[in-house]
Amino acid sequence: MWFVCAALAATVFAFPIWFMVTSAFKAEPEVQAIPIHWLPHDFQWFARFREAAEFAPLWRYFFNSTLLSLVHVAVTVFFGALAGFGFAKYKFPGRSFLFLFVICTLMIPFQILVVPLFIEVKAFGWENSYPGLIIPGMMNAFGVFMMRQYASDLPDELLEAGRMDGAGEFHMFLRIVLPLLLPALTSLAIIVFIWSWGAFLWPLVIVQDRELNVLAVGLTNYSQPYQHAPMWGAAMAASTVATIPIACLFVFFQRYFIKGLTAAAVKG
Amino acid sequence: MRRRKPINRHWWGLIFVLPGVLYFAVFSIFPVLFGFTLSLTDYDLLDPPNWVGLDNFRELFSDRLFLTALGNTLVFVAGATVPVWVASLLAALLFDQVFRGRTVLKTLFFLPVLPPVVVAAVVWRMLLHPNGVMTWLFGAWRGVTEIDWLSNTVLAPLSMIAVHDWAAIPFFMLIWLAGIVGIPPELRDAAHTDGATPLQTFWHVDLPQLRSTAVLVATLSTINAFQTFTLQYVLSTDPGGPANSTLVLGLLVLKYGFQYFRMGDAAAVSVVLFAMILAVTAGQLWFNRRAG
Repeated sequence: MWFVCAALAATVFAFPIWFMVTSAFKAEPEVQAIPIHWLPHDFQWFARFREAAEFAPLWRYFFNSTLLSLVHVAVTVFFGALAGFGFAKYKFPGRSFLFLFVICTLMIPFQILVVPLFIEVKAFGWENSYPGLIIPGMMNAFGVFMMRQYASDLPDELLEAGRMDGAGEFHMFLRIVLPLLLPALTSLAIIVFIWSWGAFLWPLVIVQDRELNVLAVGLTNYSQPYQHAPMWGAAMAASTVATIPIACLFVFFQRYFIKGLTAAAVKG
Repeated sequence: MRRRKPINRHWWGLIFVLPGVLYFAVFSIFPVLFGFTLSLTDYDLLDPPNWVGLDNFRELFSDRLFLTALGNTLVFVAGATVPVWVASLLAALLFDQVFRGRTVLKTLFFLPVLPPVVVAAVVWRMLLHPNGVMTWLFGAWRGVTEIDWLSNTVLAPLSMIAVHDWAAIPFFMLIWLAGIVGIPPELRDAAHTDGATPLQTFWHVDLPQLRSTAVLVATLSTINAFQTFTLQYVLSTDPGGPANSTLVLGLLVLKYGFQYFRMGDAAAVSVVLFAMILAVTAGQLWFNRRAG
């Protein structure tokens, strides 16, 4: 009984993903064939992907998305851990105020930032450039919040022992704190990657050159091409490409993946 | 020397948090304050901003486009919260049972969480083609060959909700499952030995334990729904279309800001959106505090 319900639910929910992936390997007319082809009849390895890459700079989009996501991950993980550690283990004047200041930013929906941030970034002269694309949103306050919690749980004796050995505070952060936070940092890295990889609104408004576009925005080139019929085969190929990195993270780091998603939801 | 060290040491904390604090000051706090100020001006990016006080807000409430977007947003929020809350709970309870193939089926059910929203929008745009896959699945057996899923002003908003829920339900199932794992098994066992039916156990044991999860799912799905924008931009026939039937507040911000270059109005819309989201957060805090 449970099995039947679960199988039915799984089929309904997985079907669009199944159809996306299989369609990426179909011949173009097959994609829209009625009745549908559950599997490609005329299996093609790379034709749809090549078509997608010829119509728009698919690999450039992929590179831009990767660059943006990796920078966001690196910055949020490193500076998030640093700030989280600072908030958790040091008592400096203004600590509570500054923490509140950082946490406030978690409540700000991006929609309210987009217009003023656009004007600000334009004033910096970063419009339509990599810095403009990448730097706003490069650090997420969730990282500080999450790392402060994990850093608080670290035993003080460990830090004291480090100090006895004459380690400097920053050296201690690098050599003792970061390695201990590694599991939490992995979850954080995954969740930040997912967010940044899917970012759509900011790249849409700040970049005009197609060479600077990210995959999320570039995808719409295939489903809504300018003066051209939609290319569904290519769209499915490009969509598959856009899903692969996240699917890989899910497959190889499943536990951290789920932990990251849950932690991000429960933050409030 | 030894006595002075602990005093100096704590300044390191300030140094450690400073990069983050400065970053957020420049790229979050400043733009928000700037946005509030902007909402009190008329500004088209060319001429210097012109102070108009609360006029933008006053005008919003007689602005057809804004009222349409507000209504559409509320409809979307309704469709993206209540069904998601119920369905994700049911899914979590289902996948919490023990049966053959559970892990595989749960993973398949979870797949919609993986692709970015834009990918979901593009894929569904194809599936919801008037003569496409979904028409075949829902229409073929009764001889219908064309359904205007996305070009009908009644159907289009419902399609947006359906696609949103498709991705949201597995995600919130995960949150419910995390809550269910936290229920002490002794409680369930005790209920079982006392002869409680599964339904009674759920109602009297599980649900009270899941109270904070329930509030979390409700508020988080509401906040996410208020911020919706990508689906209405990519999945619809034209952004917000047809005939503004999928125009939501998040999209109106973009339309006023980057299509009409009415930055003041765009900022005013985003302030209203922000206020609504804050109200939801405040409701969550109040609920949790009352629950103790």
